[in-house]
Amino acid sequence: MSFFAPFCLPFIIGAVFMFLAVGWKWIRWIYWLPRADKMLILKGIPSTRTLGAIREVVMESLLHRRIFRVNRLLGYMHMSLAFGWFLLIAVGWIETMAYMGIRWIPIQGHVFFKYFSTGLEHKPFFTFVMDLLLLFVLSGVGLAWAKRFMSRKMGMRRTTKHVPGDRIALSALWFIFPARLLAESLTSALHGGGGFLTGTLGDGFGMMFSPLTLYGMEQTAWWFYSSCLGVFFVAMPFSRYMHIFTEIPLIFLRHYRLRSTEKESSLDNFQVEACSRCGICIDPCQLQSVLNINTVQSVYFLRDRRYGMLSRETADNCLMCGRCAERCPVGIDLNTLRISSRDKMRNLPDERRYGYLKGVDRSSGAGKVGYFAGCMTLLTPRILQAMTRIFDAAGEEVWWADRNGGVCCGRPLKLSGETDAARKMMEYNTSLFRTHGITTLVTSCPICLKVFREDYHLEGIEVIHHSEYILRMVKLGRLHLKHGADRFTYHDPCELGRGCGIYDEPREVIEAVGELLEPEQTREHALCCGSSVANTAISDQQQVQLARSVTSELEKTGAEVIVTACPLCKKALGRGTKAPVRDLAEVVAAAVK
Amino acid sequence: MAINFGFAISKPRAIDIDRNNLRKSDEILREMPELQTCIGCGACTASCTAGQFTDFNFRRMHTLVRRGEYQGIYEEMNKCMLCGKCRLVCPRGINTRGVVMLIKRKLGDF
Repeated sequence: MSFFAPFCLPFIIGAVFMFLAVGWKWIRWIYWLPRADKMLILKGIPSTRTLGAIREVVMESLLHRRIFRVNRLLGYMHMSLAFGWFLLIAVGWIETMAYMGIRWIPIQGHVFFKYFSTGLEHKPFFTFVMDLLLLFVLSGVGLAWAKRFMSRKMGMRRTTKHVPGDRIALSALWFIFPARLLAESLTSALHGGGGFLTGTLGDGFGMMFSPLTLYGMEQTAWWFYSSCLGVFFVAMPFSRYMHIFTEIPLIFLRHYRLRSTEKESSLDNFQVEACSRCGICIDPCQLQSVLNINTVQSVYFLRDRRYGMLSRETADNCLMCGRCAERCPVGIDLNTLRISSRDKMRNLPDERRYGYLKGVDRSSGAGKVGYFAGCMTLLTPRILQAMTRIFDAAGEEVWWADRNGGVCCGRPLKLSGETDAARKMMEYNTSLFRTHGITTLVTSCPICLKVFREDYHLEGIEVIHHSEYILRMVKLGRLHLKHGADRFTYHDPCELGRGCGIYDEPREVIEAVGELLEPEQTREHALCCGSSVANTAISDQQQVQLARSVTSELEKTGAEVIVTACPLCKKALGRGTKAPVRDLAEVVAAAVK
Repeated sequence: MAINFGFAISKPRAIDIDRNNLRKSDEILREMPELQTCIGCGACTASCTAGQFTDFNFRRMHTLVRRGEYQGIYEEMNKCMLCGKCRLVCPRGINTRGVVMLIKRKLGDF
């Protein structure tokens, strides 16, 4: 058997082109990686991390477990297409081997085996399995069609608006499997050997058409099937379907501890092209749901960045709340990519900048425990007073880093993209902490907390949020709180919750002073207050609109007091409601015995 | 001998708006029209983090820019730490952080 027919050409050309294009991309991206990253890969390959990566590839790239968490039907759709197609290929190879023994067969021989195997003895088991798998994939294609019209049923309020290139690839993909069904059925009509699906359909065709017509139809159908594959393969490296071959190396690189940073690097290529533009990030975006801004969501940001058409408006208009990253089925580091794009647009290294910080030290007091209020707390004196009260009650000797005015932690500047300038502030604050020899650093601002933990090099100094500090004091018995009858609801600040993973400590503290009522979207899914320092694009009115939408959800819990653990959230929420909004420290200070 | 009262008075001078080139100023106002609602209360300057350590004065800076006086503004704007306190205290709800970045973009070279 020669395993060649003229209709195979579009498929062969497409497949060769795709493998060359994907290989070219991979090789360049890996070559461009910094040396340290390459070493991490070399060290990681022989370790157990490789096994973890393989497991994740199966769970995510094939089974799409994370999409099942969003919606079962949506998960099934993605799984049937990815896992189903994979099985069709894998079982197809086994089938060819079962028929032909172990020998080399050209790739089109596997793909179009039904066409070439007509003269061979029939193996009903494989026919049945292959038909079943085809049905499995076709059900996914059917759901994908249905999703166009009723995406809400599949857990998506809004779906991605695609660019023309994606539409071509998408159309080709949708036609591949119906075309395969048609081609195999027609072959079965002429030569027999079809399963429950292709055989039945083939019998129908056999009754309707004469053998000569069937022969013409069969050739056309195989040509069409091969052309669909060819078009899809050629379009694939340039469309969203590049994610198929990018997510797999990304999972491996992530397991080898490679991370994106505030500066663009070659790893970002993997991250950006691993986006499948599934659009799951659109619904959680509050800019979309509250303000009806439809062009800035992560899916569009990554698309624009990939094709080199990223505008400042798109890069800047993001709260960086992390709600989309929480849902992203590929686990792309969306916020970091956003920062590195802003950095590229805006960062101008200037050695003289912030030279005025030299020699500045406005700290007061002395103690092993340092307290860094942060700009926003300084603007919220009640929190500062409450913290003073708490420190007094706990009998703590405190070094006040910035009670009389201090230098910003640098995170707002970093989030806006001026990462080198932000380093200056980080260096200043680090040396300030070192000079005063503190061992614990307490801050009541989650924005500062995140940057202290992520970007500062504070080895030997424990950095904790005031919620953690208060809870520790309560547990140590240094702080005695009286439990009242007040009912509180808690708003998770983005930087504290999703940013630093602190969810339980504030809740435990609140439960120590009163009753805690949870809003509908809470913890990882908590809403952003809207005044995030990461966004410099939306107006004041829009911020208030966002705050109102959040407070209305918090008020629905029936709690009298809204509690949060971030001075900026406190200010923001206060503008959206008439109900009292308090910081955790205020609530605690009022309950100190 | 002059007595230091802890504050200074700017030297008297005239700004001739007819002579100044207002192109950049107009561009800035077009992109951030809310800047026209500024009442010049100075809350931004009073709350400024950078203002504690330097004579950086946001109210003065953006007023000068609007009048076409661009000399040295970019360097001055670079003193800002972008911490965002001014935005929270602004009684007119002006996106001051956006204004700082916009002025730097228009007057700097990015």
